[in-house]
Amino acid sequence: VRAKLLPAVGFFLLALVAAPHALADAGDFAPVTPESPNADAIRDSYLFVSLFVFGIFVLVEALLIAFIVRYRRRGRPRFEDGAPIHGATRLELLWTALPVVVLFFIGAFVFWKLPGIDDVPDAEASGQLEIRVTGAQFYWEYRYPNGVVAIDAMRAPAGVPVRLEVTAPAGDVIHSWWIPALGGKIDAIPGQVNETWFQAEKPGVYTGQCAELCGLEHALMTASVEVLPAADFEAWLEQRSREQAAGRGELGRETWEGVCAKCHGLAGEGGIGRPLVGSVILQDPAALEPIVRNGRRTMPAVGAGWTTEQFEALASYLQENPPQGETTSGG
Amino acid sequence: VTTDHKRIGILYIWTSLIFLVLSGLMALAMRLQLSQANADVLSPDRYNELATIHGTSMVFLVGVPILAGFANYLVPLMIGAPDVAFPRLNALSYWLFFFGGAVLMLSFFADGGAAQAGWTSYPPLATQTPGNGQDLWILSIHTLTAGSIAGAINFIVTIHNLRAPGMSWTRMPLFVWSVEIYAWLLIAVLPVLSAALTFILLDRGLSIGPWEVQTHVFDAVEGGAPLLYQHAFWFFGHPEVYIIVLPAFGIISEVLPVFARKPIFGYKAIAASTVAIGFFSMLVWAHHMFTVGLPIPLQAYFMIASMIIAVPTGMKIFNWLATLWRGNLSFETPMLYAIGFLSLFVIGGLTGIYLAAFPIDWQVHDSYFVVGHFHYTLFGGVVFAIFAGLFYWWPKMFGRRLDEKLGKWQFWLLFIGFNLTFFPQHLLGLEGMPRRIYTYGQEGWEGYNLASTVGSWVTGVAVLLFLLNVIRTRRSGERVGNDPWQADTLEWYTTSPPPPHNFDTVPYVTSARPLYDLRRKLREQRGDRQPA
Repeated sequence: VRAKLLPAVGFFLLALVAAPHALADAGDFAPVTPESPNADAIRDSYLFVSLFVFGIFVLVEALLIAFIVRYRRRGRPRFEDGAPIHGATRLELLWTALPVVVLFFIGAFVFWKLPGIDDVPDAEASGQLEIRVTGAQFYWEYRYPNGVVAIDAMRAPAGVPVRLEVTAPAGDVIHSWWIPALGGKIDAIPGQVNETWFQAEKPGVYTGQCAELCGLEHALMTASVEVLPAADFEAWLEQRSREQAAGRGELGRETWEGVCAKCHGLAGEGGIGRPLVGSVILQDPAALEPIVRNGRRTMPAVGAGWTTEQFEALASYLQENPPQGETTSGG
Repeated sequence: VTTDHKRIGILYIWTSLIFLVLSGLMALAMRLQLSQANADVLSPDRYNELATIHGTSMVFLVGVPILAGFANYLVPLMIGAPDVAFPRLNALSYWLFFFGGAVLMLSFFADGGAAQAGWTSYPPLATQTPGNGQDLWILSIHTLTAGSIAGAINFIVTIHNLRAPGMSWTRMPLFVWSVEIYAWLLIAVLPVLSAALTFILLDRGLSIGPWEVQTHVFDAVEGGAPLLYQHAFWFFGHPEVYIIVLPAFGIISEVLPVFARKPIFGYKAIAASTVAIGFFSMLVWAHHMFTVGLPIPLQAYFMIASMIIAVPTGMKIFNWLATLWRGNLSFETPMLYAIGFLSLFVIGGLTGIYLAAFPIDWQVHDSYFVVGHFHYTLFGGVVFAIFAGLFYWWPKMFGRRLDEKLGKWQFWLLFIGFNLTFFPQHLLGLEGMPRRIYTYGQEGWEGYNLASTVGSWVTGVAVLLFLLNVIRTRRSGERVGNDPWQADTLEWYTTSPPPPHNFDTVPYVTSARPLYDLRRKLREQRGDRQPA
């Protein structure tokens, strides 16, 4: 008997391990389609747990309905006693032990998947990119190894493990980095650096947003990761580096849209921050810099860690595109 | 000022119901704002205030005190005592609750509005938010905490000292068991919350006359640790869930046997699992912190500890199911709510497994999946149990039974409305919608959000039906005598409503079902075979 039992148990375990792949098309009932190995392993774990969850759910609700139907009063007198059963020790031991076994399987599967979720893959051959991600009210700043800075929109090369060092400025609040297709979230905490990673094979734009309540415009603290073919990425990084050294280019627009506009409106029409249409301070980098660096009244010190070049890029963008108010706001 | 535990219990329940309606209206407003993308119903500050006060109020002004109300009313009656051990302290507890609640609700009119940092109130956000709302929030919780601790001590002393002759620990009603553990948990964890909140108050800066205090406990600029607060908060916050859920479990353990005409299945296992849940609930707090970057071995520990709690919880569910087995089930409104509780709480428990598995939590943490999960435990679970309790004990409290027809309409509306509101939220979370956002741009999220909003209106109508039922019952409810359900516990031995001193005599207790024993004895004396 034992000889037959062993393969049966083996088959059962194999079926359990393979089941998540069979459930791959769980639609809205599972996390979004993963585009990175860590997100993939999380989704597998989710689907594995779902097998048990669904099974237990069906068991409990089916018993409940069956008992309701079978043991309803029907014609019996209202206060007639049911069976005088006070308990059943063996049965109770069984339903105490069974969940332990189920939880053991779940725990074992999760620990089996864990290295694929938590460990950054070794990348001797392809190289590894490190990006510093800083969450601040209410924008994401990305700092590449060569000093290039980007706001809200990250670019990353396809097929390369990207290691993210996630933090928040010391005087800021807690945020949480989350791009569902590229893995789980990790908090950006003042005074602490956390790590996460992704490795996307498919070029495309993957979106997410801050997942820890961080103040009034928490909802607008969105993030995107555009995965580019490696060569395109290198070209982009090179170009951004040149522009940034000259104090102009895309960074100015990203800063306005990602940092300023979330409170002051995309066209400077005002929001939780005051309207900036026709503001003389915007035209005067020398007056603008101390306010943005240090904050004022309810405005946080959004530019505390910015380089002079970033202020120049912002100023040159604003000189070319002064906020027009609602007339030109396209959304 | 009354010191009668019954009147205080009813005051607790009325006051909590008023807060339930207020906090529910806040939820309806938030659901309206989220019914479609880029809606313009609420401003961001108003939304964050409502989200914060809705959560705080549902936990501190509804969940804990309404169960304190049930406990106040029922514990002395169930154990055959004339009152709680310290009646005047009991009155103080209620009035601290009342004023604490008033401070929280009135903080909307403070300079800068109410608190906006969520019911969890994490620093540095909570230390940086300007205005007085956050300070009043802390004042309110401190006041409520003082009242709760006094109440908890009162319950413990009462249960330990005033039980009727013959009522040993294993003959005590399971609701009283749950109140015993509820009280110990309150005493164990509330002081930790008080300490954490006091640090927030001091970090915000306090000036009294010439003295100014300004600490930097949670301020990273000065070397403080924002995470310290989260550990303290969740050391309180997770047991708080069980502080609310355990007495709700207790209500279910009282209602199910009476409507199944059976003894509860596995009395000792249920009592023991209550103790086990209470104990383990203090060892799992950091499963709320899986995304803060704790070392993996620590996360692994908190995952395993959290999963261990599923075992005693599962025991309860199976014991309740087995209580229905071979019963003579009758489906008056209290039973409908108890069964509704059973069917919904299971879902809340099962989705908790995903959250306990930390790598999965990294994906679903702080998303609408979590909002769905805890509403299935606290609304599908606790609120359904509370309605079961209200319909069950109403005849005892007021001598009249709540209208059955309205009650059944309310149950079905609430059941449908609840599921429509909260089930889609799991799916939104899986699609990437974080909680606590006042708006969103993704049109793909609109369908589930609209369904959720429609569900919230149905839920609102159901609560309205309950209020209508209360008014109608007050005027013309059916008078049903002392023991309309032919129940098992001592509160049904006295008149409905009971006299101020509760009992003229109390029968000697020989089992966990003293009234069942009494009825059997009377039948035997009369020579009847079947129950009347």
